Amino acid sequence: MLFKLAFRNIFRQRRRSLLTGLSMTGGFVLCTFSFSITQGSYGNAIEFFTLDHTGHIQIHWEDYEQRPKIYKTIADRDAVESILEKSDEVKAYAPRVFAPALAYAGNQTSPVSVIGIDAELEPTTSRIKQKVRSGEYFNEALTRNGFAKAMIGAGVANRLNIGLGDEIVLISQGADGSIANDIFEVVALVGTKDSYDRSSVYLPLVAAQEFISVGDQVHEYAMLVDHANSSEVIAASLQLQLDGVTPGATVSPWQVVEEAFYKSMQADLQGNYFAMAIIVFLVCIGVLNTVLMSVLERTKEFGVLRAIGSRPAQVFKLIFVETMLMATLSIALGYLLLIPLLTFLTQVGFVLPEPMEMGGVPFLHLKGGVNALVLTAPALIIYAFAALVTILPGIRAVSITPKTAMSSH
Amino acid sequence: MEPVIETRNVCRYFGEDETRVAALDHVSVQIERGEFTAVIGPSGSGKTTLLHLIGGLDNPSSGEVFLSGTNIAEMSGTELSDFRRDHIGFIFQAYNLIPVLSAEENIEYIMLLQGVPANKRHERVREMLNLVGLEGLGDRRPAHLSGGQQQRVAVARAMASNPDIILADEPTANLDSATGVALLDIMRQLNEELEMTFVFSTHAQKIMDRARRLVYLEDGKVERDESK
Repeated sequence: MLFKLAFRNIFRQRRRSLLTGLSMTGGFVLCTFSFSITQGSYGNAIEFFTLDHTGHIQIHWEDYEQRPKIYKTIADRDAVESILEKSDEVKAYAPRVFAPALAYAGNQTSPVSVIGIDAELEPTTSRIKQKVRSGEYFNEALTRNGFAKAMIGAGVANRLNIGLGDEIVLISQGADGSIANDIFEVVALVGTKDSYDRSSVYLPLVAAQEFISVGDQVHEYAMLVDHANSSEVIAASLQLQLDGVTPGATVSPWQVVEEAFYKSMQADLQGNYFAMAIIVFLVCIGVLNTVLMSVLERTKEFGVLRAIGSRPAQVFKLIFVETMLMATLSIALGYLLLIPLLTFLTQVGFVLPEPMEMGGVPFLHLKGGVNALVLTAPALIIYAFAALVTILPGIRAVSITPKTAMSSH
Repeated sequence: MEPVIETRNVCRYFGEDETRVAALDHVSVQIERGEFTAVIGPSGSGKTTLLHLIGGLDNPSSGEVFLSGTNIAEMSGTELSDFRRDHIGFIFQAYNLIPVLSAEENIEYIMLLQGVPANKRHERVREMLNLVGLEGLGDRRPAHLSGGQQQRVAVARAMASNPDIILADEPTANLDSATGVALLDIMRQLNEELEMTFVFSTHAQKIMDRARRLVYLEDGKVERDESK
């Protein structure tokens, strides 16, 4: 009966209820749209850089992430890998070494970043194999000319004016203080001139370790887990386990590794939430007006309800249910409108006329995302604010005495 | 026998200091179970105020109001709501039915508040509609009923909760005289057959003639109290 009464009361002033309902629907759709774009864009960006190079979690030695030095290596690889192998959450991992170097070929020189990767494990953790634009993804074997293989970024190839089959000489410093220099043969070109690794030279892990004299030690483990969102929790758990076997190993989730991006993202999200709060606030003003009008118009009726025995709380509940019912109908309509909108956003999206960069990560495409947060948070926000706006009219309705209410017109 | 209603030296003032008006001035009345009492008097004599105080819709400035032995002036808002729901039936001059509910639903609503099971509610609604002669009109909303029919629904609603007393404030004032008399006949019949206690206010002679007891009010005081 309460729902019947509430439902019929909503349709007493059809036009006003329709306008209010549509404003709630509009607010809900706008909120969901904004949530979807935010989640989609950042989801894509996070997927982009985590699969491109960072992984979801990284392990380094002590403060290597903040102050990289060639000698800050993870020595007890067996202990680390044993924990990673046993972990149910870690889907894949890959060891890496890094060193700055000077590369030259012919009469050209260029500063490069040397990245030593495990040829078999790295493709399970990053998209390195898919980024090979020409040539073949390398392995540990030497070339026919007896050189270790190298894959070079597009920027390096361009600056040194070299291609597949050409030799590249790398000069760096070994971890033991020695001069590191060696000749490598280019077997693949990786990425484009805009890629993160445009100035990188990829070497097979063993060749790189020998080049910079770190034995079989590595600078980094990058790994993928089931969900990027759970990286922080899993990283904390791994850190605890590693502290027990190899103190000094530092586990960092992508939020720490890509701190600049993460902070930009958080700031942008705050801005979005603020914009959404304004939308919802404006919607709520309209809803408040409608509920208040409705209560004022029905003061006499509330007086009658109180006179025949309705408790104050029951009258309040009636107003609350009416508002919630209107919110439910509005949200239901919103979901219907969102089906094609979210389908378009997630499947097609918008191509940005100019790439937008945030924290060093380029946004080329604006696509929406759909997850539990996108589908539920805006509805919950609308419900919460709708509940909030019933408080004032509700209190007014229950605080008036039946006698006074019934003598009103 | 304990009276259903007893007012002891009840006063009700409106306004303050020089503007203070005594709507009721030391009114003491007792109503026994099964009575059919009319409170009569000219406009402004305090009829409606007395009914409001008896019904717990207003509080006296001084004095006490007992309904079935309970001093209703001492009750909290929620207690009073529950008390009205279970012990008092109201019939208003302007019918005051809930416009979005059908006649049946208007009658059923109070039983819903009482927590009466659905099958008993529906049975009682049918019974009430038969008693007031509205069989077949239960699904109509108030806007589709005549004034007399709406007031009969109000009578049925007031009786549905099986209250100790039904208070009717000028129940026939918005009806033509024939319809008003017919409504009073129904109320009188219910009073006689079911021993339901009725107290109603009126200033129409034809209505007064049907009362078994007349309480005359003038300037907020009981001038006469006559039983026929």
